[in-house]
Amino acid sequence: MIESKRHRRMIANIATYIVLVSLSIFCIGPMIWMFLTSIKYEADIVTQTMQYMPSRITFDNYVAIWTQSGFPLLIGNSLVVTLLTVTICVVTGTLAAYAFSRFAFRGRDQLMLGYLVVRMFPAVMMIIPLYVVMRGVGLVDSRFGLALAYTSFLLPLFVWMLKGFFDSAPKELESAARIDGSTRLGAMIRIVVPLARNGLVASSVFIAIAAWNEFLFALMLTTGQGSRTWPVGLQLMVGEFQLPWGVLAAGGILSIVPVIVLFAIVQRTMVQGLTAGAVKG
Amino acid sequence: MTSSASRYLPFRALGELSETRYWMYLLLLPSLVLILLVIAYPTLYGMAISFREMRLTRPGLDGWVGFKHYAAMWSDPVFWIALKNTVVWVTAAVVLELALGLLTATALNRDLPGTKIFAVLILLPYFLPNVVAGHMWALLLDPRLGVINDILVRVGVLQTYKAWFADPNAALAATILVEAWHGFPFFALLLLAGLKSIPEDLYKAAAVDGAGVAAQLRLITLPMLKTVIAAAVILRVISLVNSPDLLLILTGGGPGDATQVLSLYAFQTAYKEFNFGYASALSVVMFVILMIFAVAYIRMSRITKE
Repeated sequence: MIESKRHRRMIANIATYIVLVSLSIFCIGPMIWMFLTSIKYEADIVTQTMQYMPSRITFDNYVAIWTQSGFPLLIGNSLVVTLLTVTICVVTGTLAAYAFSRFAFRGRDQLMLGYLVVRMFPAVMMIIPLYVVMRGVGLVDSRFGLALAYTSFLLPLFVWMLKGFFDSAPKELESAARIDGSTRLGAMIRIVVPLARNGLVASSVFIAIAAWNEFLFALMLTTGQGSRTWPVGLQLMVGEFQLPWGVLAAGGILSIVPVIVLFAIVQRTMVQGLTAGAVKG
Repeated sequence: MTSSASRYLPFRALGELSETRYWMYLLLLPSLVLILLVIAYPTLYGMAISFREMRLTRPGLDGWVGFKHYAAMWSDPVFWIALKNTVVWVTAAVVLELALGLLTATALNRDLPGTKIFAVLILLPYFLPNVVAGHMWALLLDPRLGVINDILVRVGVLQTYKAWFADPNAALAATILVEAWHGFPFFALLLLAGLKSIPEDLYKAAAVDGAGVAAQLRLITLPMLKTVIAAAVILRVISLVNSPDLLLILTGGGPGDATQVLSLYAFQTAYKEFNFGYASALSVVMFVILMIFAVAYIRMSRITKE
């Protein structure tokens, strides 16, 4: 009886590992293939018989994407837009998340629900009027304008995520500081925000990745070199120049490196923040 | 001394302000103003545009046209194709993602050694940009040098390389596969958190009562996960209906209109033809359908819970 139970457990464990390994290959395989493509010579990519492991390695594709196109400029624009978006969200969103987490006031639940509902608005529905409005005030083709547009769907997300982290920060220290004569503002800046530091970083990284990756708003709202971000630039390069596969793969790898690094650093706290809301109901 | 005191005066004034009963409203004000500015106003304006003629290519054409765009939609064959494709595409993708997500979450929840590394690897696709995900899969599925074709031919599933995005049915299936790859980690993430919140005692008690693995899954796991599944499905449906990114990159709606969905049709009407009036009407209809679905779905999953 015990023998058969152990036997069953062993089979279950092996099955679990098989599932996990296959899913990991499914997830990571395409990325590895893109990396391998990026270090192949073009002749080795376009061959009659498929080359699985590159027979010779080159970094020409990386040099090509970096020097022959406006890629550094695109990356620079994306960096500026991402930083602006994160700054706007952190400054305004932290205050709102703190208010939602610590105060009971009339209209609080409705307002929070409102922050959630705006996420249901189709991007296309927002893009058209935003384009018309921003053209009117001269914010089309501006990095600040694009960052503002991004806050429309990232700020509500940021507030919800951060509120969860504020909720789980202990309230005792805050009360103690208040008793010692600290103002609410003082207690918030000196006690609560440092306590929820990890959550703040994770929420900011989540916003940063989303802004860095965003494609649709950027396609519509940027028209020139001055503000075009890398997803739009890369997409247009594919269309206009028939970008060679190796160069395209190199561009893809370069642009996802920051995402992977950031994700690896804060993934645990970020996952916690992403799931908290849904699990609580 | 006095100079440092005066330098901190603004901060002190704010500190005093924070003691008043309006403090929480002041905290909310900046984000609220921003959201009203970039969401509420454009949304209302967008709805207004759907009742107007607005084509940037023909500036002379302007003015209110009532329900003209909505009437035009009714007799627009592309609209109906896009609506049908949206339903098929979203349903297939969500079902596939839910199944894969449930499998992943169950496997990860057994907490075997090394699970953490697998979790990171499996979550990664969710954070990849659509542009890279799209081109990566275009490379994998390429009709001349795609590695998936090569593998399938070697294994014997295919006789020759297949042009996945040229055949209407294969194109829709291929884009669903790519979307599932991109989106299933989201389900895995939420379902894993849901599984972890189920008390271990429930399973122990069930085991004592003689419930097998299947009975435990049916009587404990699925009922306890119901809320999480409902939340995950609704969030995913919303984001799938709303975002045409992946299809825009992979197929542009083609071949023909085989992968044309509502969000993509609306975007292309705005971006290519600059016909903002019709595009707005399309997105308003999409939004209304989504709202009806969301309300019905939430009501349904609540009724079954009670």
